[in-house]
Amino acid sequence: MSVRGGSSTQNGYTLVICEKPDAARRVSDALSGGNSRSETLEGTTVFRFNRRGEEFVVCSAQGHVYGVSDPFDERAVYPVFDVEWYSSDKVDEDNASAARRIAAVKKLAGGASKFVNACDFDVEGDTIGFNLLRYACGGKEGASLRAKFSTLTEGDLVAAFENLEPQAGHGLARAGRARHAIDFVWGVNLSRALSQSVLDSGHRYRTVSVGRVQGPTLGFLVEREKEIRAFVPTPYWKVSGVFERGGKRITASYSQERIERKALAERVREECLGKEAVVAAATKRSIQVGPPVPFNIGDLQKEAFRAFGFTPSRTLQIAERLYLGALISYPRTGSQRLPPSVNYRRILEGVGSISEYSAASAELRKDEPKPVQGAKDDPAHPAIHPTGEKPRRALERSEALLFDLVVRRFLAAFGPSARRELVDVSLSVAEHEFRLGGSRTVFPGWMKYYGRYAGYRDEELPQISEGDRLRVVDVVAEGKFEQRPPRYNQSSLLEKMEKEKIGTKATRADIIATLVGRGYVSGEAMEVTDLGLSVVEMLAKHAPSIISIELTRSIEEKLDGVETGGKGEAELLRGTVRSIAEQLVELNTNEEDVGREIDAAVVSTVARSYVLGRCPVCKTGQLRMIRSKASKKRFVGCSNYSAGCRASAPLPQKGTIKMTTKTCQHCSWPVVYVVRGRYPWRLCVNSECPGKKKQ
Amino acid sequence: MKCRLCGRAATADLCAYHQAAKERVETAYALWANAHGKIEWKDYLDNVKRNPQTGQWAKEIAELLGGN
Repeated sequence: MSVRGGSSTQNGYTLVICEKPDAARRVSDALSGGNSRSETLEGTTVFRFNRRGEEFVVCSAQGHVYGVSDPFDERAVYPVFDVEWYSSDKVDEDNASAARRIAAVKKLAGGASKFVNACDFDVEGDTIGFNLLRYACGGKEGASLRAKFSTLTEGDLVAAFENLEPQAGHGLARAGRARHAIDFVWGVNLSRALSQSVLDSGHRYRTVSVGRVQGPTLGFLVEREKEIRAFVPTPYWKVSGVFERGGKRITASYSQERIERKALAERVREECLGKEAVVAAATKRSIQVGPPVPFNIGDLQKEAFRAFGFTPSRTLQIAERLYLGALISYPRTGSQRLPPSVNYRRILEGVGSISEYSAASAELRKDEPKPVQGAKDDPAHPAIHPTGEKPRRALERSEALLFDLVVRRFLAAFGPSARRELVDVSLSVAEHEFRLGGSRTVFPGWMKYYGRYAGYRDEELPQISEGDRLRVVDVVAEGKFEQRPPRYNQSSLLEKMEKEKIGTKATRADIIATLVGRGYVSGEAMEVTDLGLSVVEMLAKHAPSIISIELTRSIEEKLDGVETGGKGEAELLRGTVRSIAEQLVELNTNEEDVGREIDAAVVSTVARSYVLGRCPVCKTGQLRMIRSKASKKRFVGCSNYSAGCRASAPLPQKGTIKMTTKTCQHCSWPVVYVVRGRYPWRLCVNSECPGKKKQ
Repeated sequence: MKCRLCGRAATADLCAYHQAAKERVETAYALWANAHGKIEWKDYLDNVKRNPQTGQWAKEIAELLGGN
């Protein structure tokens, strides 16, 4: 083994620290040729083997085994600016295995003469390895070596260990540790300040958290929500005509897409009916559509949302599993580029051994494969790509779908541009013009490899030439309304965060999930709750920096500087503490106002969460989920019970009831989802629903 | 002072959100009147209330102004 730098002695073994148990197993299998021995130490599995006369011991963390906290750990104590790293089980009760993993590494460190950080090569991975080397191995972070790899395949792992590098500067880990400290100081102080103000005001405790990226992200949602809730649609008319030639009918739209006045729309209709249309122009043009660039994590999350409806956090979780199974490369990458070093031909051959992709693989290997490259690069990892290995186990459906998407995107990147033919037709009717367009793919190119994800539809027109005459069959002036702005969904919110450069590729999905978990937004449509509105409103009034994009973005940029330069984190932390302290003073001064408003919003949000919809019996009350004081069972009842409305229905007693805005097509009673087990089921709450009787 | 529609803090009888929505409802009337040639204020409010595109605060304002 060739090693550049680092310490090495004849006595003792090389201790390899991996980020996750699955990665430790893969590293051991790759370096030992499958001949490693596993043993249990402190309840964790470690692997031992010899390689070229050198003894190796491979152990693992389980994500972060150290976390930042304050010495007080009292929810009423703030401000808190003194932070330390603790074993994660002391910070998070759910992370009980952290202490065992740290104990195992401590025991193993005693017999080691050389240390290798083989955690994922990014900010979080470097931080995990750095902390274990510093705290569990007795300050070995400076003397350790780094194994850098982008896939967990045998070839990549062996190459990484053949080329171990000394850890210079620890820029990634320094940035990671600074990020954790800043986010802790930010989150703990603001959350305690807000929660305490609610407690003082309403005499109840409610965790009201505002993370550093969470605040501005919630701010985006609130801005959009305000537009939606105050929206008044304005009417307009859309005119379209049905024309006939040679027995074939076509529909064309009036040249002015929106007509603001009903009288004008009707005049167009009247002036065109009974007339003849003449083809004023019919033009064909051909366009080239280049292949989509290779996936970075943001692109993969957006495409998986579009294709399968997966949330960004779910996509990340599935991608992590595929990576740990050595099926795809490291997913937390910002790169849209595939360097030749990934070995295009080898991967194409590997992918070709899977029957679905064999024909495409063979075609793409006929010439020298060369992929399209995107603009974004990431020095740590290439774009997400298949490793070329076949699954060794049956994949779950979601895993199979995401794997197929990654493989097809990789194949498509090597495909030639597609060619599409676009047809634009202009029809003259009296003084009016109607337009229609058609399109078709004349050469599929990369679309053939990307399959159903390509998303182009053909809309062919009958043969029409300039001067042709068509009969006007009908002209319709359809009344429409301006659509209100769409709510963000998880995919478009992720895109907005990327555009505004807040959060990181690794954290954005979790931040969105936290907003849902905290009750600031609800439902798939990401509707902001009253609580979310109040939190942003209070912060905008009393601590505007907390929800400003500028402060968060400036911290991100400085963290990037720490990452590349390996210094400056202490100054950054001091600056952040100063900013937070200023905002805390302002919040504290207005504690009563803040607490009262947020408390009222908590009450309103909780109350709304029990409302199923308008009562279809009395038409004025609201159907609510109620729990009987006597039987403790939940049921549906009308808010107008005291006024005589007896609308009620039983509810399933097990599982979680999720509200929807939908009503039953048979009886107009509200529809809910009952979540119990893996798949939720849809239920009309009316026990007498005619739809149920029919079934 | 509290908003008469939602109970949020307010400087007059409506909170900032409902006040903004009220201005939107009032401004849009001219656009509706122009679009239809003529529309009575009450009919306009009924249409706004019934329209699924209308936002929640605007709907509440239309109900308030329409005397529902």
